[in-house]
Amino acid sequence: MPLAPEQAASAVGEDRSDTDDTLLVVRAAEGDEEAFAVLVRLHAPTLVRMAARMLGNVPEAEDAVQDALISAWRKLPEFQRQSTFRTWVYRIVTNRCLNVLRARRPVDHLDAADQVAAPEHTVSPARIAESHAAVDELQTALTALSAEQRACWVLRELDGQSYEFIAQAVGISQEAVRARVFRARRSLTQQLGAWR
Amino acid sequence: MTARTDPPRPSQPDGDDELLPCGRSLAEVWDLREQEKHDPHLEGCLHCRRAVDELAVLETSVRRLREQSSTAEAYDARALTHRIMDVVRLELRPGRPLPLGEPDEDLWIMESAAARTVRAAAETVRGVRAGSCRITLERLPGREAPLIDVRLEIHAPASAPLQDLAEQVRRSVLTAVDGTLGMVLNGIDIRITDLLDAADEPGEGTDR
Repeated sequence: MPLAPEQAASAVGEDRSDTDDTLLVVRAAEGDEEAFAVLVRLHAPTLVRMAARMLGNVPEAEDAVQDALISAWRKLPEFQRQSTFRTWVYRIVTNRCLNVLRARRPVDHLDAADQVAAPEHTVSPARIAESHAAVDELQTALTALSAEQRACWVLRELDGQSYEFIAQAVGISQEAVRARVFRARRSLTQQLGAWR
Repeated sequence: MTARTDPPRPSQPDGDDELLPCGRSLAEVWDLREQEKHDPHLEGCLHCRRAVDELAVLETSVRRLREQSSTAEAYDARALTHRIMDVVRLELRPGRPLPLGEPDEDLWIMESAAARTVRAAAETVRGVRAGSCRITLERLPGREAPLIDVRLEIHAPASAPLQDLAEQVRRSVLTAVDGTLGMVLNGIDIRITDLLDAADEPGEGTDR
């Protein structure tokens, strides 16, 4: 699926910030908390957006990012810089999100999704905003994915990341990422009722 | 970073594939579409066209969801940054205490705070950006107050004469160590770890 221009542009911008990060990461690892504060301000918006897409809401996303970045501060002295800081913190946030998703009991979550979707239809019974209904359907369908499928699918389809990046962030092979994204798409097309 | 830059897809692991009635695998048909590759079979095959159409329906909803959830630009990270930094400040790693002034003064500065002063001094030189800064104590026989050794890594502008630049950084650090910190510098080891292109250079030396 080709990326929207907005995403392509932000990917270029992120290359630049990887260079800027290098010095800040070294300083923060040596105990300069002001350098770490700059890193937090730079990366928090992207991380919260990713986590919100992963978890489906902003408050849980903020908690996940907060825990992940505090853990990053603790682990910084051991950070070997084999990957960029961005990939490293993405990985920590992704792991947090995976734990939250795994802890959700699937049945409860499906019920919750139904309850969330229902008032929407009461407000606009004629489905004036057809696109809202389609997005609601998709969001409900997403809750049926396994935590691992959802994580890979969100990073690929909503965050626009490469398979290579996702493999690093989730800590599995590119082949396994492709398989999960495929299974997620398969499950979603089936659930959206388009499949015959 | 686009779909096109991904390397060719290796075959799907067993059990993940599904064959369409025409005999092709669904994963392969979708993959060709994702990579925007020409698929001549598609035009004549009803099954493959249907599979691609159904992916396209999903993609339309995905695009809408992506637009709805693109809140990063609007997201104000200040409150979250404060919360994170409140916890971080309870778990500081200030390094070792370094003695300031005369031995009987019992005055100390933490290594990370002294390093911040050194980095800021180096960055007053135009185009220089400071990274790692390690400060060690040097005790000389017959001298009660210790001296300090500084090892500083910097990124320098590629266009600058490096020896002159290193000398400016050395002088600036010496002034700060002597004047601001009141410590005696035994030696300073400057390592240029990267050269910045004109596009990467900050306009002015920053005075942080």
